[in-house]
Amino acid sequence: MSQYGMIIDLEKCVGCHACSIACRAEWEVPTGKDSAERERRRNWVNRLGPSKTPQGLASTYYPGLCNHCDKPACVDVCPADKVEVTFTDAKSGATKKMEVAATWKDPFNGTVQIDKERCIGCGVCADACPYNARYVNEEEGDPKADKCTFCVERVAVGLEPACVQTCLARARIFGDLSDPNSEVAKYVKKGAVKLESAKVKIGPNVLYYGNKKDMHLLTATSIPQAMPQANLRRTIMAQMLKPAMDQVKNLGMLGLAGAVIVKGLSEDEKE
Amino acid sequence: MALNLTRRKFLQTASLAAATAAMSGCFANRANASTPFVKKPFTAPGSFADTTTAVGGVCEMCFWRCQLVGKVRDGKLVKLEGNPKSIDNGVSICARGNGGVKLLYDPDRLKFPMKNVGKRGAPEWKRISWDEALDECSTKLKAVIDKYGPHGIAIFPHGSSAKYPMTFFEHVVGTPNNSEASFFQCRGVRDMAYVATLDTAPDENVDMANAKVIFLLGGHFGENVHVSHVKRYLKGLENGAKLVVVDPRFSASAAKAHTWVKIKPGTDTAFLLAIMNHLIKTGKYNKAYVEANGEGFDKFKAGISHATLDWAAKISDVPAKQIKEVAEMLAANAPNVSIHPGRHVTWHGNDFQRERALACLTGLLGAIGVKGGFVKGKGPKVGKSGWPKVNVEHAEAHALHHMAKKHQFSPPGTPTDMIRETAVTGNPYAIKGYVGWGQNPIQTIPDQPLTIKMLQQMDFVMVCDVMPTDITMYADILLPESSYLERYDMIKTGVQWDLSGKQEQYIAARMPLVSPTSADHERKDSVWIVNELAKRMGYGQHIPVQSELEMTNKILAGANLSVEQLVKEDGIHVQPGVDPYGAVLKVKFFSQDVADAGFPGVPTYIPVPEPPKGFARLVYGRAPVHTFNRSMNNVWLMNEMPENPVWLNDESAKKMGLKDGDRIELVNQDGVKSETSSVVKVTPGIRKDTVYMAHGYGTKNPAMTVGVGKGIDDQSLITKRVVDPETGANGMRNNFVKFVKNGKVLSIPA
Repeated sequence: MSQYGMIIDLEKCVGCHACSIACRAEWEVPTGKDSAERERRRNWVNRLGPSKTPQGLASTYYPGLCNHCDKPACVDVCPADKVEVTFTDAKSGATKKMEVAATWKDPFNGTVQIDKERCIGCGVCADACPYNARYVNEEEGDPKADKCTFCVERVAVGLEPACVQTCLARARIFGDLSDPNSEVAKYVKKGAVKLESAKVKIGPNVLYYGNKKDMHLLTATSIPQAMPQANLRRTIMAQMLKPAMDQVKNLGMLGLAGAVIVKGLSEDEKE
Repeated sequence: MALNLTRRKFLQTASLAAATAAMSGCFANRANASTPFVKKPFTAPGSFADTTTAVGGVCEMCFWRCQLVGKVRDGKLVKLEGNPKSIDNGVSICARGNGGVKLLYDPDRLKFPMKNVGKRGAPEWKRISWDEALDECSTKLKAVIDKYGPHGIAIFPHGSSAKYPMTFFEHVVGTPNNSEASFFQCRGVRDMAYVATLDTAPDENVDMANAKVIFLLGGHFGENVHVSHVKRYLKGLENGAKLVVVDPRFSASAAKAHTWVKIKPGTDTAFLLAIMNHLIKTGKYNKAYVEANGEGFDKFKAGISHATLDWAAKISDVPAKQIKEVAEMLAANAPNVSIHPGRHVTWHGNDFQRERALACLTGLLGAIGVKGGFVKGKGPKVGKSGWPKVNVEHAEAHALHHMAKKHQFSPPGTPTDMIRETAVTGNPYAIKGYVGWGQNPIQTIPDQPLTIKMLQQMDFVMVCDVMPTDITMYADILLPESSYLERYDMIKTGVQWDLSGKQEQYIAARMPLVSPTSADHERKDSVWIVNELAKRMGYGQHIPVQSELEMTNKILAGANLSVEQLVKEDGIHVQPGVDPYGAVLKVKFFSQDVADAGFPGVPTYIPVPEPPKGFARLVYGRAPVHTFNRSMNNVWLMNEMPENPVWLNDESAKKMGLKDGDRIELVNQDGVKSETSSVVKVTPGIRKDTVYMAHGYGTKNPAMTVGVGKGIDDQSLITKRVVDPETGANGMRNNFVKFVKNGKVLSIPA
């Protein structure tokens, strides 16, 4: 199996924000917030510093996107009904059947994806992500979770991800981390770093490379230190509702299940 | 189902739906897309899906002019990308370039000709026809010309579409009063100082990609983004070039620098003189180059012999040891060093001398025509098109700086402050007609009250623009222009971005990526507008071209090309180039011309005013997602940086009781307070005597619904005017500010 991944080379990045805007254009990502705390974005650049570090004054950037984690916190919490999906390996043509909810981790390329048709827009997945890499897109009056797809749709037709293509610094490198000869794998060998902490260890596949002071500033400011609080409550709720959902699924009453869950969440939010 | 639900509302609605469903026993199936009553969920298809690629775009979100392609679906532009054929920017474009889509479809864009039936500055707009607008503009402008002469008109142009109107007024009407912001508030000083020293305008032609040392004076690449230029800079760094950044602030470039020189603002020339004096005294300059190509070197050597390391250290607040280190680093790597000429250089009113010093340092190191040095790519030849010079003698005879025998090194046009002063005093003549084209002088030129006074005394003010910027509030007639994505208007030429790469030249013409016409507006291009004006004003016989397309084809014909041919070549013609290395330039270390005009012939440090007690110097610069005020209404770009945090030294902030993110206003030395607020950015990355903010924020025009009131307008706080004596350009960093929090004025400790 492949694992698509991305390297952000902070030695090259000049913090121009082109990646962030190219992504908005490519995927029609709305601006603003979906809630008090969460930006509507697939791709962002946080400007860090200038701040003191043990290695001296530093200023750098946190260009962020979905990490397409090894153990994504967003997938298991999805309360949508599971359906059997056949996945195909783009390289070998091999297929694999899996029961998945409205979001899953692809068994062949390792990306985390969303089925907008089946997403009920409850936002539990977005709440579960410690990186704030998901948001709920309500632009068309029909809320759906949305996030970076690693532009697998572009990659499938031979294009680079939109953010990679526009990057004047070539600071974003996309590739297969499982291939030791790939440029991304070479960066890993050179010491590219995952934004992980003791409590947030879910195997992100976006890695950062830079000099000591920049990496100090990045890791000191931008590594999540805890899994989201709401996550636990909502996961439990989602788990509790699953038997009910399977039942309604059998009856073809998926909408009700969704409604019940969002009702529960709505009450949860009022707490 | 045009519901625009917030998430909370959705949750409430959904729970209500659930309750209703439970009661009625009828289950609404929200998620089943096959049900005809349920809308298919929105999934963006991606810019590559069901689109055609329109070629021939040339960006004008800034003025570097990257070459573009447009992804167009159903006649609508969905995305802009770098043209894969480009040997300049390649497939890359910056944030602003990507954001062009949102300028094109900005609902606040000017749509129809408008007449101001209110007051200048407090307009009330009435939509009028093009005929009415053009009749009124031509009648009023003609009346000014008849009463006061052609020089009674002043033009304030900016951008490539402004060239045609600018040259109409200069060459045909015959007014010298042309204030180009790109010269008098930006780079004119640099160009004139280099012409006086190396006999050529430098642009930003340093071969950074192949340099061993890159030396930046205030350059902050990354915050200031010009794609191929930053590519050169990054390649140089990747190849191991040492980066020296001289800046009072820890800029994006300082963050990548090997040496950050935390200089006291205004004192750069002292620093440069000390470097040069040290190199001469220790014999570490390029003697062969200087002997062969230097002019007035002995006078120069004597003239800067006072500039010791200790002398400069005291003035510039830079350790003598560091000045020496920089000097020795430059000498050790000469001649392969990029002494960057800068771009926006209108800082302190002593700028011509500083730019002369940079040019002299380049010559002293022999860093000319060699890898990594000052090297100009040799671009291709194209043809010409434009207004005939029928009345330029009148213009020259009435040029204010010629009449006053001042500013002998003025860039083309007339120094802005001479135009404004003449307009408000009527001395030596009246200026009663204002033509604005793409420039927003309210936020471009210091001393806003003087600009407004100038506008208020005009008999007629006409403005043509794409967006309702602040200047448009002062127009009597306001004309809507098609954007750079909808028109032909200029030819971009150049060479491959890395001068040491395969030698190639390119010719790209700006062509519309989408149709300029639609039912909801009546925008026109500048060639059409100016031709219509010219006919009505009685200059019809001089019209050089009937359309922007004809103009483009005429210029391309000089290279045996045409628009049709360029389209066949995917928008860019590429041809074999010429090796740019090996050029030799004479260096006027001492300039007799400068001395004859009454200015120091040897580069000289001229001190600037110190901050009064309790104030810090206001310094401004670029934000990567903005081009001055031009991008302030762009929803994507504004979302990235919705305001301009004011940088304040962390130790000062502590003493003032200010915390990072506190909402503040600023008040300057003249008691002028910012009309809007921003947040304070507390950082160790700035000197205590300096505060910094990105330029262009604080739009006042409510018609710019996204940008209005966001951040602080630095220009509103630059009320003390300084003029560079040699060039007449404005110096804009001699103003000082204090902070205001919750109505309380906070002094900045020394």
